[in-house]
Parts: sequence; structure tokens; C-alpha cells
Amino acid sequence: MSTLDTKKLTKELKIDAKAVGIPSGASNIFIEKSISDALSNLADKTIITDDDLKRAIYKELKKYHPDLAYVYKNRDTII
Amino acid sequence: MQPPLCYNLNMNVFTSVGILILTMLIMAFLQLSTGIFLLFFHYCHGKYSRRKCSDMGLFYIIGVELCVALIFLSTYFSLNALYFATSNFDDTFLIWFIAGILAALAIVIFFCYYHKGKNTKLFISRRLASLLNEKAKNAKTRSDAFTLGFISTIPELFFTIPIYIVAAIETMQIGDTPIVRSLLVILFILSAVTPIIAAHMSMDFGYNLANIEKTRIRNKNFTRAFVSLLYLIIAILIITFKVIK
Repeated sequence: MSTLDTKKLTKELKIDAKAVGIPSGASNIFIEKSISDALSNLADKTIITDDDLKRAIYKELKKYHPDLAYVYKNRDTII
Repeated sequence: MQPPLCYNLNMNVFTSVGILILTMLIMAFLQLSTGIFLLFFHYCHGKYSRRKCSDMGLFYIIGVELCVALIFLSTYFSLNALYFATSNFDDTFLIWFIAGILAALAIVIFFCYYHKGKNTKLFISRRLASLLNEKAKNAKTRSDAFTLGFISTIPELFFTIPIYIVAAIETMQIGDTPIVRSLLVILFILSAVTPIIAAHMSMDFGYNLANIEKTRIRNKNFTRAFVSLLYLIIAILIITFKVIK
């Protein structure tokens, strides 16, 4: 069992956001909102897998910036 | 002085040039160094200033170039020594062996180079992929970038060693003066970094990892089929001009 490190996830997403070309002010707001919305969407589940979490965050991020969501979803499948 | 003969055949200069161009195309189309560079440059843009990214990107390219140059030149000089050391060296077995390997690699590349699915996952083990991913993410200095570039060509040696051998033989065949040979060597080395330079420029001009990755996925099947075909064509050319002369 592992716990979600939201600070680490936020930091990683901010790096991705800057690389994708999103201004840091905007990215700070919607990254935190996306993570909190994703977590509240999963709140009623008793077991949450890494894939569930990734899918939920991807879905939320896609509303704000599809490229950032795409990079978040696919960064482990580039090579 | 006669250049060291590699194929005892009537393979003319044009065929050798053609084969050399095909080997350069293969070097340009193989994806591992480019994939690692994209990740590395993406993380770099996310952490550092544009100037530092360009600097580190340059060192990555130098790392790839140096590794390709070392492997190519060591192959070249080993073969040169082999041909000089044995005056009546019968290379029939060597040629058949290389042609067979190339044909086998054509099949392997077509079926195994990429993983299935909508991604550009390559043939390397997932453990190695995550290690390279981590290295790309944590590169902080020029030397990190250089080392990453240097090691990025090594996992692909399984596919590239026969290409280095063929290119070295063709270079010996074509270039009868040191200048021509040096030019061919430089061209071969540059061909390996052409896609990385293109990726570097694309990201400098405002394309991001998502855009480039979508293009790579769209062209995945073409890349696989094209590289496989190139391997096959080289194998056929070698067999044709060695056996049916």
C-alpha cells in the first residue's frame, strides 16, 4: 500500500506545465484544483489504484490544458 | 596504393554510396536517442532557463556524436586491420553472416521494435526505460547531459552493430583518399544526430513534448516498416553484389 504524495505530484506537474509553456500563475491554480477535484471524485472508493488516480487527474487536467494532460498521461511511455 | 579491399566483388562506387546512404538513413530513423532526448529536453525546459537548456541540449548531442564516432571508428580500424593483416582474407563468410543478420534484424524490427498500443515504447526492458527516464529527469549539469547522450546509443547496439560494420566497409570501398573517408565518417556521425537536432529546433520553436509525441505515434508504423525495409534492402544489395556478380 502506498500513500499519495501530493506535494511531489504538484511539483512534477508544475515542471511539466512550464515545459509545455503554461505561465506559472495559471498552472499553479489549475494543477492544485485538478488534484483536489480528482481526489474528491475518488473519495467514495474504498480501494484506489495508481491507474485510477492517474486517470482521474488526467481527466481533470484535460479540462484546463489538453497538452499538459497528455504529457502527464504519457511521460512513462515515450521510450 | 590500393585501398584495403573489403568485398572481392565488382560492387561499383554507386552501389557503395547507395548502401552508405541507406545505413545513414537507418541511423537517423532509430528512435532511442531521440526519445531520451525529448524527455530530457522536456524536463530541462520545465526546470531551467532557455539558455541553460540549449547548452545542455548541445552537450547531449555531443555525447551521442562522440559515442557513435567511437564505435564507428573502432569498427572501421578493426576491419581495416583485419584486411591488412590477412592478405588473402576470404570475406565470403563475413558478408553472408552480415547479410543474414541484417535480414533477421529487418524481421525483428518490424515485429519487436515498438510495443503495441498508442505509445512509442521501445524494445528495451521496462526497468531500463524507467532508469533512463529517471536519468533524463534528474540531469542537472552539462556533464549529466553529455553522459546521458553517450549512454543513449548503447542499448540500441544490438540493432546498430551490423550497420556500423556495413558502413565501415563501404567507407573503405568508396574513399580512396583520407579526405573522402574523413568526410564520409563525418556524414555518418552527423546522420545519427540529425533527428535530435530537429527535435531540439522544434522545441526551441515552440513545439512541446505532446505535439512531437503525437506526431511520433502517428508515424510509428511507417517508421517501423521503413527501417525494416532499409535493413532488408541492404541485405539484398550485399548478397546481390557479392554472390551474383
